[in-house]
Amino acid sequence: MNFKNNLIKALIPIISILLALLTGALLITIIGGNPVEAYEYLLRGAFGSKNNIGETFVKATPLIFTSLAAAFAYKCGVFNLGGQGQFVMGAVASALIATTNNSLEGLPLIIVSLTAGTIAGGLWGMIPGILKITRGLNELIVSIMLNYVAILFMGYLYTAPLRNGSVPQTAAVRANLSRLMDGPRTHTGIIIAVVLAFGIHYFMFHTAAGFKLRAVGMNQIASFYNGFPVKRLMLISFIVSGAIAGLGGSIELHGTQNRLMSGFGDGYGFDGVAIALIAQLNPIGSLIVAYLFAVLRTGATTMQVGTGLPTAVIDIIQALIIVFAVAGSALTNMPKIKQVILKFSLASKKEED
Amino acid sequence: MSQDILKMENITKMFGDFYANKNINLTIREGEVHTLLGENGAGKSTLMNILVGLYHQTSGEIYLRGEHVQISSPRKAVKYGIGMVHQHFMLVEDMTVFENIILGTKHDKSIFINRDKLKKEILGLADRYGLKIEIDKTITEISVGAQQRVEILKALYRGAEILILDEPTAVLTDVEVVGLFEIIRKLQSEKKSVVFISHKMREVLEISDRITILRSGESVKTLDKSEVDAHILASLMIGSELVTSDYEKVESQQDDLVNITNVSYNEQSKHNGLNQISLNLKKGEILGIAGVDGNGQSQLAQLFTGVIAPDKGDVYCQAIKVEKFKPQLFIEKGIAHIPEDRNKMGLIGNMSVKENLILKATETDHMSSAKGLFLNRKAIKEHAKEMQERFDIRCSSVEQESRNLSGGNQQKIVLARELNMNPNVLVAVHPTRGLDIGATRFVHDKMIEARDSGCGVVLISADIDEVLKLSSRIAVMFEGKIVGVYSGINPNIQEISMAMTGKVD
Amino acid sequence: MENIMNLPFLQELLLSTMRMATPLLIVALAELYSEKAGLVNIGLDGMMAFGALVGFLTSYITGNPYLGILAGGLGGIMVNMIYAVATIQLGAQQIVFGMAINLFAPALASFIYKAYFGISSTLAQATLMEPMAIPLLSEIPFIGKILFHHTIIVYIAYLLVPISYIFFEKTKAGLNFKAVGEFPKAAESLGINVYRQKYLACIICGLLAGIGGAYLTTAYVSTYSDGIVSGRGFIALSAVVFGRWMPTGVLFAALLFGFADSIQLRLQIINPETPYQLLAMIPYLSTLFALAFFGIKKSGPKANGQPYFKEER
Repeated sequence: MNFKNNLIKALIPIISILLALLTGALLITIIGGNPVEAYEYLLRGAFGSKNNIGETFVKATPLIFTSLAAAFAYKCGVFNLGGQGQFVMGAVASALIATTNNSLEGLPLIIVSLTAGTIAGGLWGMIPGILKITRGLNELIVSIMLNYVAILFMGYLYTAPLRNGSVPQTAAVRANLSRLMDGPRTHTGIIIAVVLAFGIHYFMFHTAAGFKLRAVGMNQIASFYNGFPVKRLMLISFIVSGAIAGLGGSIELHGTQNRLMSGFGDGYGFDGVAIALIAQLNPIGSLIVAYLFAVLRTGATTMQVGTGLPTAVIDIIQALIIVFAVAGSALTNMPKIKQVILKFSLASKKEED
Repeated sequence: MSQDILKMENITKMFGDFYANKNINLTIREGEVHTLLGENGAGKSTLMNILVGLYHQTSGEIYLRGEHVQISSPRKAVKYGIGMVHQHFMLVEDMTVFENIILGTKHDKSIFINRDKLKKEILGLADRYGLKIEIDKTITEISVGAQQRVEILKALYRGAEILILDEPTAVLTDVEVVGLFEIIRKLQSEKKSVVFISHKMREVLEISDRITILRSGESVKTLDKSEVDAHILASLMIGSELVTSDYEKVESQQDDLVNITNVSYNEQSKHNGLNQISLNLKKGEILGIAGVDGNGQSQLAQLFTGVIAPDKGDVYCQAIKVEKFKPQLFIEKGIAHIPEDRNKMGLIGNMSVKENLILKATETDHMSSAKGLFLNRKAIKEHAKEMQERFDIRCSSVEQESRNLSGGNQQKIVLARELNMNPNVLVAVHPTRGLDIGATRFVHDKMIEARDSGCGVVLISADIDEVLKLSSRIAVMFEGKIVGVYSGINPNIQEISMAMTGKVD
Repeated sequence: MENIMNLPFLQELLLSTMRMATPLLIVALAELYSEKAGLVNIGLDGMMAFGALVGFLTSYITGNPYLGILAGGLGGIMVNMIYAVATIQLGAQQIVFGMAINLFAPALASFIYKAYFGISSTLAQATLMEPMAIPLLSEIPFIGKILFHHTIIVYIAYLLVPISYIFFEKTKAGLNFKAVGEFPKAAESLGINVYRQKYLACIICGLLAGIGGAYLTTAYVSTYSDGIVSGRGFIALSAVVFGRWMPTGVLFAALLFGFADSIQLRLQIINPETPYQLLAMIPYLSTLFALAFFGIKKSGPKANGQPYFKEER
């Protein structure tokens, strides 16, 4: 019974992706392009060479973190839209440690820096949490406001106190995450991301704590009556979600960008939300969808160079995936349609018996 | 002899395979009070919802003053002069009485609301029918009885000739019930017809001109008031299959489990507070709390389960004073809770049956290792299967989401989970509400079992028969106070009923 | 620092406040109508972006910024219809779908812009809307220039406030509308067509949000760029909460936030050494502090955010 349920849940993102790609093809045709050619360039851009494939993993890494952060939060009933800000604050904390004068070098530096980033993200995520619990404030608006504050704060840092040279950016971090192989820029961050995804999945579905967090996300009142410390659990979701995003920011800093500058982390936050929603809030699903988004992003520039089509097409396709996925999710939750699905899954169960 | 103004002929309503109404025949005469009598789930509300255009009948015809009509929407029903006062009021809380009454109406062509003119009209109408209202107060500011008057006025303002009152006395005090009956008589004198839906024998006998009994979706009989008494009605209502078995009532001589001394909570409120309550619960007894819904019972249940903390007074649990009030702590003390709203408070609808069964036990050694770090899937599933069998939970699999089960089976999940705790105290609030006869019996059996193994059971129920059937002692609540404690063995029903209305000698 | 406390500066500041508050006001009113009918729409940024694009493009092609505003409004409606169908018919979670709109609409806008103008970095220029001074009133010393020397959109925006107030408090339609957001089942039982009212709310919301976006590219400046909206939609959201779901409250909130924005820009010019980012934070931080300080005493229409399913007949 559970398997059938899960199958249906997995179908939604798959169908959405296919539909979006089809619509994208339509759009391309409308503006006079050749969709087959365009998608060919796209795939070549993503998988055409060892370096390109490496790039897909590089781009996927931060997306995995922000989508895990979003998925974790929503699963617990918390609308954390502050992933962008938490990601940035994580990187900021790391920059403060890894570009300024202190005695840390090499691996110890990385460990301290990543830890600092995680904590910074957690703290930044805690703010909307505390405001919600003590003042009843809607975390949506608070977390979004904090996004802007974080981005501006980072801008301030690389324009003034941490500035290195005439261009507004910080110095390079003193240690980098090691590359996995010669050539492609893929770094150990991807491994951390994948491990984290599985870790979160395990936590959510195989531990008592994860169970309670999910329960709170589904029915706060019943959770309270059954003795769950609801406020504490909600705060934990905010903090953990922020921490995941913060870690992502640090890893992006040490793995790819190496310094803070204008545009650092742009778009990862909301994209992460989109990915989490498409993947139906499943951590492993987020892994897969995040990778897909990375593939699209990587191939987009090649597509633009090869065919002249604007990369905005890819943005639209990505946006369409989420529109279809959310609509599909809502559709399957409608009472009438649920009946149909229920009958379908019950019928097959009888066959299994 | 007044004429028929409404005729419902062979009305059948199906929801999927389920017959909510089956070949029901009902006629209403002008100026009569016609009662629809039946238990919960007999099909009364469904039938009335068809009459007011909220549902479409699957088959059957409706005739108004001899003419065939299709009541396809609430608007149409209003046009035909049919108005309904629902059990759960359809009033917008933050709007005033005035605004609620004129909502959705268009008595003139202007886009603006002519407040003065309309208020005058409404007050005139209210006066004519003896309905006292405070027209500029918001709904949250007025009493439940006043809210009901607003609902009646709403219907009359829209020109209702037939007024349906769905369980109108469920939320009223006895004084308010008298007032309501006066209003009904006034309506009759103005040639309005009243359809009175109830399952309360005493009122039905007092107010009705004719009575139609519904049972399991079908109309059993229509009787004139001269032909009935309580026994005839009861047997028609319940039917011959149900044999109410008597449980042995045991009076406990054991120690107190819980002692509530002089507790007040939200003292000002008559309907949502506790006013200097003192109560004790013994081991091995069923303490029934009787009273009309809305006299503080919810708050009492919340006090017993740690959801609220008293403003004044103390609570002792096994002779130790309780300092902190949190459900978590009370659960640890062995207090189990069957809540008044199982979907809101008891179950996580989106979680499966097996997950709901272990809601309180995720960190126990049985269900997991290392205090919850590794949930033992196998143990959880086996436990669920065991509970499914022991408590007869009807579901296609324990993996099913609990919200897809019927009400009775959902309640069984809650029951299974709570009793599995081997609780010291069981607080059961309306435990059999919305359950069919078989499920009700099951729940009662389990409660007696719990009592016999030493548990102290608090049974809070608006169903006085349930309370009388099971309780060792009976406490009556009225407006937040305990107005009397009576023996459950050979209970003095007269005294208890009076106490429920607040009249204590 | 002496520059601040003189009259011309103050006048400029207040004038700019009015102009910067205008898009916030329009979009906040858009959200107000939506939430009064029970629909929380966080896709305001998206609708604004699309309205900005459509408005700009129309103004560029026709040379008429007023047509641009109209077109922007229509664009906003189109986008919001996706939200409407998903949330009203399908019962999709409103927050989630609003998020989807925020991702989709700006991408579409950006795409259309690039498809039309190509991928160059120079911004295309359209005609800027001219301010229309109100005769006589605009000559009042000091205030005249601040209040009565604006583009027509500004006047319309501020007029919308009393109009909305009258609608909600004095008309039958307004009362019925509010009931839908408070207790849709009761409204339905009284013959109010809940679905229709919700769709109406979405049309109004889309219209106003689109116009608010178009204002940015036809009256505020006459170019379009990808970041033109810069989170104004979310500030408008907080204005609704801050303004306690009342038109007058929303006006006050919009002016407050507009003021914060204006001051931040001016301080940047006066003190170029201060990194502008710290000053740019002011609008966002002030929103936060205002919300944290005032809290949520009343949380809006009772059925806000909840999907409504008409019962099976």
